[in-house]
Amino acid sequence: MIQHSEWIFGPFMLALVALVTWAFWMLPQWTRPGIYFGVTVEPDFRKTPEAQRLLRKYRLEAMIHVAIAFAMILASALPSYQFFAFVGAIWLAVGPLTAFVEAHKRVQRHAVKAVTVREAVLEPRSTRLPGGWIVQVGPFVILLATGVFLHFYWDEIPARFPVHWGIDGQPNGWSSRTPMGVYGPLVLGALISACMWLTANTLLRSARIVDRARPVFVLHDFAHRVGLFLLVIELFLAVVFSCVGLLPLTGAMPVLIVTFLMLPTVFVLIVWLNKGRAHIERSSETHPQAAGDGTPDECWKFGMLYFNPDDAALWVEKRAGIGYTMNFAHISAWVIMALILLVPILGLVVARHNR
Amino acid sequence: MKRPRTLRIELASAQPVYEQIVSGLRALLVSGEFESGEQLPTVRQLAIDLGVHHNTVAEAYRVLAEEGWLDLRRRRGAVVLDRRDPKATPEAKQDFRKHLEELIAKAITNGVPRSAIADRMVEMARKLGQGGTR
Repeated sequence: MIQHSEWIFGPFMLALVALVTWAFWMLPQWTRPGIYFGVTVEPDFRKTPEAQRLLRKYRLEAMIHVAIAFAMILASALPSYQFFAFVGAIWLAVGPLTAFVEAHKRVQRHAVKAVTVREAVLEPRSTRLPGGWIVQVGPFVILLATGVFLHFYWDEIPARFPVHWGIDGQPNGWSSRTPMGVYGPLVLGALISACMWLTANTLLRSARIVDRARPVFVLHDFAHRVGLFLLVIELFLAVVFSCVGLLPLTGAMPVLIVTFLMLPTVFVLIVWLNKGRAHIERSSETHPQAAGDGTPDECWKFGMLYFNPDDAALWVEKRAGIGYTMNFAHISAWVIMALILLVPILGLVVARHNR
Repeated sequence: MKRPRTLRIELASAQPVYEQIVSGLRALLVSGEFESGEQLPTVRQLAIDLGVHHNTVAEAYRVLAEEGWLDLRRRRGAVVLDRRDPKATPEAKQDFRKHLEELIAKAITNGVPRSAIADRMVEMARKLGQGGTR
């Protein structure tokens, strides 16, 4: 008999595989014309037959990896082959990346010297986070207030309370009245908020947003949009985690309401963010494109990881994918990375406690 | 809309980057692009935008501060000073003349027409006469 969890697991895995397939298929298209598979090339190179051939080869290899991963995930449904789910998930993430690295090596034959002219705008710029400090501490205040509330109503919390429900509405996960069981979700929420706050803050202050091909103020506006986007998500997540913390007193309804409110809001924000990005692309059409992105190829490991101790920027434009990546020559990049990795670890600890 | 003031450097140049920053900023300061009391980008911000090390920009700011162009106060960043024309020493005048002659000789060697050099110098002289300097 098929369990409810399998009904969910099947479509979820299919959606995940479809998303990963699409992402790796599109990956080489998501960078500026002067970069191809993480290598500095002439802006027109990607239109040449050779570039198209290299793209086809990469896509074929990436899709073979996706197919192998998918086969493993399917095989994990067989009795005593469950470990294939884990191996398949790892393969899904790492396999297509190896195809990218191979393509990166092939494209290096066509590398050209990056533009060595750098330009800085000397006009004053605001690095103030959206809403200022009062709004920025909002998520932490929400979580702290919930913690204080739970502390005062500690005696009213049941010794054992449900924290997870099946699709049939029956509880299938429980937690207990212990500091970890009660405050764990709040600490997790605070950690996620801290990561997002740190990202937004360092992006505004330590990202290179000057670009010869694009007007600086348009880029600066986009960085502020990213900051506002992260702030709204942070506030929503703080409310969600507060509602999770209040589960033993209020039940699941507030969590459901906030989550359903959050999803359309995030969708609207993504559309708004994308509009900002489209503005950048439109504005760049009037400016000449140059080879590369102003960073030296030798500082990019596998065309994906940036390591340049002579560059003061902590965040630089990605060479594989949309957005920014960190300069791992700075210790602060490793601190942020460690904090981000702490989120799933703490999540697992809380989840284990809630069995 | 007013064109933003920019600073350009060439990493492949034989001239050290900090000297290029000094020259570029000095040219802007001499031409009166910055009012006294105005703030320049912080060392950190300029280093990020130019993609160079903090120390490179800090060194350039130090040189300009020693020349009397900038006031480097902790937490206030680099503030442009109201620099009155100092009395030039005979050595400074001779140094300027030598540099100018070398620069013109190099430009001619690089193929810049003599007339273009002369035009540019007349233009600069006019600007100087209009009080474009401090």
